Amino acid sequence: MSNSENGRKSVLVIGGGIAGIQASIDLANMGFQVYLVERSPSIGGRMAQLDKTFPTNDCAMCILAPKMIECSRHENIKVLTYSELAEVQGELGNFEVKVLKKPRYIDESKCTGCGDCVTNCVVRWKPQVREVPSVRDRIKEEDLQIVDEIISEHKTEPGALMPILQGINTKYNYLPEDALRYVAEELNIPLSQIYTIATFYNSFSLTPRGRHLISVCLGTACHVRGGEKVLTTIQEKLGVGAGETTEDNKFTLEVVHCLGCCALGPVVVVDGEYHGKMSLAGIKKVLETYGWEESCQE
Amino acid sequence: MPRVNSPSELEKLRAEILSKRDPDKPCIAICSGTGCHAYGSERVNAAFEEELKKQGLEGKIDIRRTGCHGFCERGTLVVIYPDEICYTNVQPEDAIEVVQSVKEKKVIDRLLYSDPVTGEKITREPDIPFYKHQQRIIFGPNRWIDPKNIEDYISLGGYSALSKALFQMTPDQVLQEVKRANLRGRGGAGFPAGMKWSFCRAAKGEPKYVVCNADEGDPGAYMDRSLLEGNPHSVLEGMLIGAYAIGASKGYVYVRTEYPLAIQNLEIAIEQAMEYGLLGENILNSGFSLTIKIAQGAGAFVCGEETALIASIEGRNPEPVIRPPFPAQSGLWGKPTNINNVETWANVPLIINRGAEWYSQIGTERSKGTKIFSLVGKINNTGLVEVPMGITLREIIYDIGGGIPGGKDFKAVQTGGPSGGCIPSSLIDIPVDYEHLEEIGSMMGSGGMVVMDEDTCIVDVARFFTDFTRDESCGRCNSCREGLDALFEILTRISKGEGKEGDLELLEDLGKAIKDFSLCGLGQTAPNPVLTTIKYFRDEYEAHIKEKRCPAKVCKNLISYYIEPDKCQACMICLRNCPVGAIDGGKGLVHVINQENCSKCGTCLDLCPPRFSAVVKLSGEVVPTPPLSREVAGRKGSYKRTS
Repeated sequence: MSNSENGRKSVLVIGGGIAGIQASIDLANMGFQVYLVERSPSIGGRMAQLDKTFPTNDCAMCILAPKMIECSRHENIKVLTYSELAEVQGELGNFEVKVLKKPRYIDESKCTGCGDCVTNCVVRWKPQVREVPSVRDRIKEEDLQIVDEIISEHKTEPGALMPILQGINTKYNYLPEDALRYVAEELNIPLSQIYTIATFYNSFSLTPRGRHLISVCLGTACHVRGGEKVLTTIQEKLGVGAGETTEDNKFTLEVVHCLGCCALGPVVVVDGEYHGKMSLAGIKKVLETYGWEESCQE
Repeated sequence: MPRVNSPSELEKLRAEILSKRDPDKPCIAICSGTGCHAYGSERVNAAFEEELKKQGLEGKIDIRRTGCHGFCERGTLVVIYPDEICYTNVQPEDAIEVVQSVKEKKVIDRLLYSDPVTGEKITREPDIPFYKHQQRIIFGPNRWIDPKNIEDYISLGGYSALSKALFQMTPDQVLQEVKRANLRGRGGAGFPAGMKWSFCRAAKGEPKYVVCNADEGDPGAYMDRSLLEGNPHSVLEGMLIGAYAIGASKGYVYVRTEYPLAIQNLEIAIEQAMEYGLLGENILNSGFSLTIKIAQGAGAFVCGEETALIASIEGRNPEPVIRPPFPAQSGLWGKPTNINNVETWANVPLIINRGAEWYSQIGTERSKGTKIFSLVGKINNTGLVEVPMGITLREIIYDIGGGIPGGKDFKAVQTGGPSGGCIPSSLIDIPVDYEHLEEIGSMMGSGGMVVMDEDTCIVDVARFFTDFTRDESCGRCNSCREGLDALFEILTRISKGEGKEGDLELLEDLGKAIKDFSLCGLGQTAPNPVLTTIKYFRDEYEAHIKEKRCPAKVCKNLISYYIEPDKCQACMICLRNCPVGAIDGGKGLVHVINQENCSKCGTCLDLCPPRFSAVVKLSGEVVPTPPLSREVAGRKGSYKRTS
């Protein structure tokens, strides 16, 4: 194929998902001759597998189907399904490509799409779902034991997910990915749902946290008493921002909104130990009791 | 302990506990609330125990670790019963002296509370002005009760309201009593509890649930935590009575994970109540059963909203959903569910025990009973205060709170947390109840009261709350998610001195739009702090926008630090500690801040010795140029250089 046929500019679109379909329609409406190449037997792609779409929760097929039809009927679009790109030559504005059309073993001019052969095929074509190896095979034996224990403790009660995540979070100080995958398998909950919850709450973290957890309170009372300044000072001293962990994995700094000891504001909590009425000199002292040294950080 | 099987057995048990206790036996009560815990009450307690052992007084003097007394400013609090001698700021080293004094029935003057105005020493706890002006019907028992010991609660008449409800009243009578008492939800909105219960009672579906909402998310409010930590049984008893009235058989307490002590004490309380047969199957042989479980939050403000709370317990994504259906019809796992706040539940046993007539005498026409506030911020007596509804703000702030530290001027008080509003000093005589607060654009909320003085910048406060709510917005509604971000951006711009004409109108329009188009309470109330501050402190916003001046001298971009040449004694303290090396000077040379390099951290202001106070903050004025002669004028006093 060359880039201009019948004196008209032509375009090759690779991939017949919703993006490719839309691009083809737009280009075709602009007057280009469009070739839409798709590897699988039909255009439609991922969107055809979805129920609803973000952000409006509209029905996916209701959006996709009219576009698929428009695409296949458009006089400027030639759909090449079950085909792959074999070779590209040339330069910008003047490409020449070779497309490999795989055999369908069916005479397309005669097929009416009745579906009889599909239902009667003895080695019926299976749905194309990628096999995901079970996380059970790669998770460490000791971790497996810990997570199993937490799961079995809560598994029977309704609403088990939260206590399980809390249990894992307390044990590991964060939520390891493999543990979450394992929970998803065991509870038969989609990983996406666990991910939503794991990222929603402030006390869960998906990245490992340091040995010492420093929480700076920025509740209202601490704020009016200078909590912000305490936070910036600690940030400067540790060289990390809120929610981050120092490189040596010693400290994790986080911000909390009110720990309920407003009389002591500004408050800093290290590993559950409260330090109230923090002054700039006090911060240094507190950090030093947990093994922080000024020189090694600077 | 065998379980208690009837009301008479409960009374017998109570009499037994009381007979074992000598009311004249000295008891050292050590406050172990979170405030005092942070002061080191753990160590104080250990020191006392050791001291008793040393002096051989074990068994002669009791030690009791109570819940929060409320006067957190002066922790660790130690009260000696039966005389109610109150010692403040007690340290572990004081143990010897205190134990000695208890033995000899003496009073240690040094540790007593002294009135900051008259300097008079006050011996007894109830005579301290902080306590004297309160009416502590809910919170009061905290100081007599060891929360880890159910017998303490029973000895004070605990669970008698439950036995009265179960054996002398029908569920309907209980419901009517609560309705007549006009108990309103203490979580913020003030919905009548009796009405809520009757909806849930009338709803079809089994089992029914009662839930205690202890997801106290408002920054600056901690009364629910102190109740759960200090007197968990009163909350459990309230839930039991409520469940009986509603016909519920399952209960949950949803507690923030930030409150480990509350969770621990509640776990113990549930266990003990089960053991005594006051919770679980067939309570007091009445045929009524209720099981209560603890569900932990994981740090999300929006989970205080009831539909989000339900989703969180179920392990779903905790986003609020449209009501109706209300939880009373379709709540936890689609079953009728009644959710009330900790403090609301704690009110219930009182109403049943003492009757709706007694209860409704307290408070105002439409707001009955007392409310616990946490009085925090720029106030002398920080702590938890319980006052009857309708008390004026002035009484709370000056009579109980002891006024503003450092003789500064009272500027405003923020009630209702990030959902409430700022009340200016001109409205200080307003009665505090649901109606009046709402009228002026604020709300009761869960009861946080953050006091601000002249050094608090209103724009900064509004920006702080907006930052909080925008961070905690779950993101479901566009108006809340994007709107709060926009509010925050505009406020940030104003605080940087980049405000424009028309910004205030934009803030107001946007605020109203967010209120109107958000699904849940978070979005509907989040613009309140901005709207009320614009309403009452418009001139301060305008100073930021038009004059590029921050009257409270807080907003970094609008202030400059300046060393007054005639006060500087060239002591080099600020010079050595400046983190960016922006101070120029030397021995005998007046120090000058290089304005271009200054990061405005304020270290120089903090460190300048008070007797010099040479560093000042300027806003809206041009920083004077340094004097030509840099010699230090007359050196003051006997100050010697350390270098």
